[in-house]
Formats: sequence, structure tokens, C-alpha cells
Amino acid sequence: MGVVYIGDRSVGKTHLAFELANPQGQYVKVCNLNYDNLKPIFLQPDGTARATSTIDNRTLDVQVQLSTGRSQVSVEWIDPPGEIFRVPWQLEHPSEWNSFLETVRQSEGILLVLPPYREILKPDVNPETYITQEQWSNRFDRWTKFFSYDCPKARHILICLNMADLFSDHLDKEAQTLAFNPYGTQLNWLQRHIYVRDRYFFFVQSHLEEINRIRGVSGLSVRCFITSIYNRTLLELPWIYLASYLGN
Amino acid sequence: MGNICVIGPTGAGKTTYLAALAYCPQVNNQIFTITSVTEDAKKIANKAQTIIKNGASLEPTIIDGVKIKSFYDLPLYQFKIKIKPWLKKADEINLVVRDYPGEIFNELVSGIYNELHLEFIEECLKKDIEGCLLLLHGWEDNSDNFYSQVMGKFIELMDKHDRSQNLRIAVAMSKCERGELWPGRLDPENDIFNVHLPRTKSLLRQGILAQNLQFYAISTFGVLERNDPRPNRQDETDQIGSSRSILRIPKKWRPYNLISPLYWLSKGKRMRYGV
Repeated sequence: MGVVYIGDRSVGKTHLAFELANPQGQYVKVCNLNYDNLKPIFLQPDGTARATSTIDNRTLDVQVQLSTGRSQVSVEWIDPPGEIFRVPWQLEHPSEWNSFLETVRQSEGILLVLPPYREILKPDVNPETYITQEQWSNRFDRWTKFFSYDCPKARHILICLNMADLFSDHLDKEAQTLAFNPYGTQLNWLQRHIYVRDRYFFFVQSHLEEINRIRGVSGLSVRCFITSIYNRTLLELPWIYLASYLGN
Repeated sequence: MGNICVIGPTGAGKTTYLAALAYCPQVNNQIFTITSVTEDAKKIANKAQTIIKNGASLEPTIIDGVKIKSFYDLPLYQFKIKIKPWLKKADEINLVVRDYPGEIFNELVSGIYNELHLEFIEECLKKDIEGCLLLLHGWEDNSDNFYSQVMGKFIELMDKHDRSQNLRIAVAMSKCERGELWPGRLDPENDIFNVHLPRTKSLLRQGILAQNLQFYAISTFGVLERNDPRPNRQDETDQIGSSRSILRIPKKWRPYNLISPLYWLSKGKRMRYGV
């Protein structure tokens, strides 16, 4: 019943989870991992993340400061390589794929990390390495089916459009708008979701509604976020949301 | 100690009702003091603060086979409620409440074949249970038909378990902040149940002893102001296609009539002070 990260290749899944352990956290801290010790394991000398080649399982003790006090979430950090969602990889590694699928099916929280699409990138970012909005939307069909039918235990699906620093000109301002404050914020969780959805996920709105409709009986509701390892406020938001539900 | 079961269909707002009850101490009130006794009650009070007040909704209670595998895995909420009306003698009730998954209620009509669900119903009708708070939220066309069938089965089960003479049933219309229901809250038996659920009401009156049956209107979210009876709730359906609802303005959170059905279930007499 843990939390699992999933997403395509090279979208920054590992880096996102690893950066959470950075001790300079505002409301979120990882108690059981030492950021400096992990650095050489996860990062290359140039600071970019090493590609994940196997399914890594770790435990994260995430501590979140909420208005009621500190809330502790034990996270099974199951970090699969991005290739796992490609059919050839699944055919070549059937036992690993099935074991991963079983874990996801038992997970209570799922973080889907997605890359930005070409149309929203800042002018100085090379668009060649990113897919178009149409391609992104087509790929999202697969996630819609996956969440609707393959994750029966999931109560929380958080979709993170990662690398927000590549597409938001005013990252700090955006973070300020979405910021969480345990003693009262300008936006509540629904308003945050709608704000992010209308700006960055508007073209898959019907997909999101479909998941909510199909899985609504089990209390599931999808929430959209933007994340970046360069902005602590945005990085922490999905965890604060999860801790409200899953924390002790 | 009053053992109470909260039952009702999926989406009736059972868990949210209990969260509001647990959170009540934080809401200023000169007459009532509610103390959460068990860890589950304390946890749900925290969730009211971190989830409901932050514009999200609680997870439904479902038998997922992992966290909830048997009756004993259901959250157990124990509250001590002190009632101190002005210039009157203080009164106190101790409640132990189990929050039942809605799927069991939904299944009553077709018959419960799942052993686990059967176990839940058996526990609900045991001798040490003083009463059931039955939360219903539907008032539209088909609701009356469905509820009357379910209640017919429930009355049969009460009889079978020898509880037809000694189990109090408080039937409450939940989410009464809705415009169609709010004006009927003062006399819910006549102005809500008679109007919207006549078959269900009549069946309950026929099947349960008069002294063991009461009708209530409750609203966990309440309305915005005394003179502004717009619901203090927002449905996610229109905005994101989800069937959940959230609190509209947390600062104006004033639940309506949460305690009186529990008071009656526990004491057998009606409470004279509203909350």
C-alpha cells in the first residue's frame, strides 16, 4: 500500500524523489536518507541524474509539517526505469514487469511524472527532444486506461508535469500562487488542481474527468501538479497533499 | 457507554459527518464539548482540519482487503460529549461509533452473499449495539424506491436477530444544506421524509416501534450564514467530474444538528438544544 512513481523515460522521476531529501526543505523532510551520501549514487558529476536501469526499491520516511503537526508518511519508493512502460522491455522482462504491475495495483498513491510538451517550452529550450502536445495527449490515453482499470487500490493519483523550469517564465510567481501554508493559503486543493489543469492540462480535461467518473466510487480523484527540482515549493506540494491523507 | 453504528449508502457522508463531530471542539461552542477518546477519533479530527478545511474531501470507507479486512479493522471512534446549557444541569454522553462501509448498505437489496459483509451486518445488530444512525442522502425520484427496499430487508434482519423491539433507529437526511431540503429541516419527518421518501418513511413507521424511531435532518457542512442559506459546499462534479464535495468556505463552517440524533440514540430522549 505504498506510493509509487511511474512515468516515461527521462522525465526526472529519480531526481525528483532524490531532491526531496535535500535538507533545505520547507515543509517536507526525508528523515531516513542522507542527501549528501545519496548524491554520488543518483547524480553524475555534472549534476544530472543517472538513468535508472533496474527497478530500485527504497523506503522514504517523509515528514510533512501540516497545521495539525508533523505527519509521517512511509513511502515505498519504487523507481522503475522509464523503459518499463515500453512493450519490448515488458516482453523481455516478464517477471519484473508483472511484479511491478502487482506493486502498482496494491499502491494507495501513484505519482505519474510526465515531461513537458513542445508547445509550452520556453523559447531558449531546444524543442527537438520533447514531444508535441498531440503526441503527449495520445500517450495520455494509455495512462487514462491504466488508471481507470489497472489500479484498483489507488485512492490518490497525482499527475506531475515535471521540469516546470523549462516551461514557466515566472516559476517563482507560479509557485507563490500555488504555495501551501499550513495556517491558511490563498488556494485550496481543488482550486490548485483547477488552476494547474486549466493552464497545463486543459487538452486532456476529458481524460481526467473519465478517470474520476470511472474510479469515483472508490473515492479516487485525480490531482494535477507542476513540479521542478529547482523550486522547493512546487516540489513539496504533491507530498503535502499525500501526507494529509496517508500520514500518521 | 453507547455503542452506535453509522450506516447508510455510499456517498451519504458518514465519514465526513464523524470527522465534523470529532473536529467540533475546535469550533467555538459554549454548550457542547466533544472530546475524541480513541486514536481513530483523534486522527479523523486532524483529517477534518488538514483535508476538509483545505478544500479536499475524505476518502470513503471501503473494504479494500488490506487496511479493512474484517469488522475489527473498521475505524472505532469514541467520543465524550458534554452538554452544558445555560443555567441548566450539565449532561454527558459517551459514544463508541463504528463507521460502516456504504457498499454493505447498497448490497442489502440484492442480498448479502459475501461472508465478510454478512459479518459486518451481524456485528451491527448485536445486543450491545444501542442504536443505528442511518444516514440517507438521496431525495430524487428513484431514491424512495431503493431506500424502501433496503429498509424492508434491514427490518427483516432486525427481526431475525431479535432486535426489532430494542434497537433505536435514527433516520437522518444528510447534506441538508441543499436548497431543496434546508427549509424542511425543522420538521424533517413531515417536510423531508413525507415529501421526498414517503414509502421509506411509511415502511419504517410500520416496521419499527414508535419509541425506537426518530427522523432527523443534519448538515455536516451547513449553510453560509443565518441569513444566507446557500450551501457551504461545492460539488466537484461540475468542475472536475468527480462525485465528491468539498467545504466551500472553511471560515464559515457551522455544521447543523450533528449531535441530537446521537443524543437520542444514546439516551432515548430528544435533546432540547440544537448544534
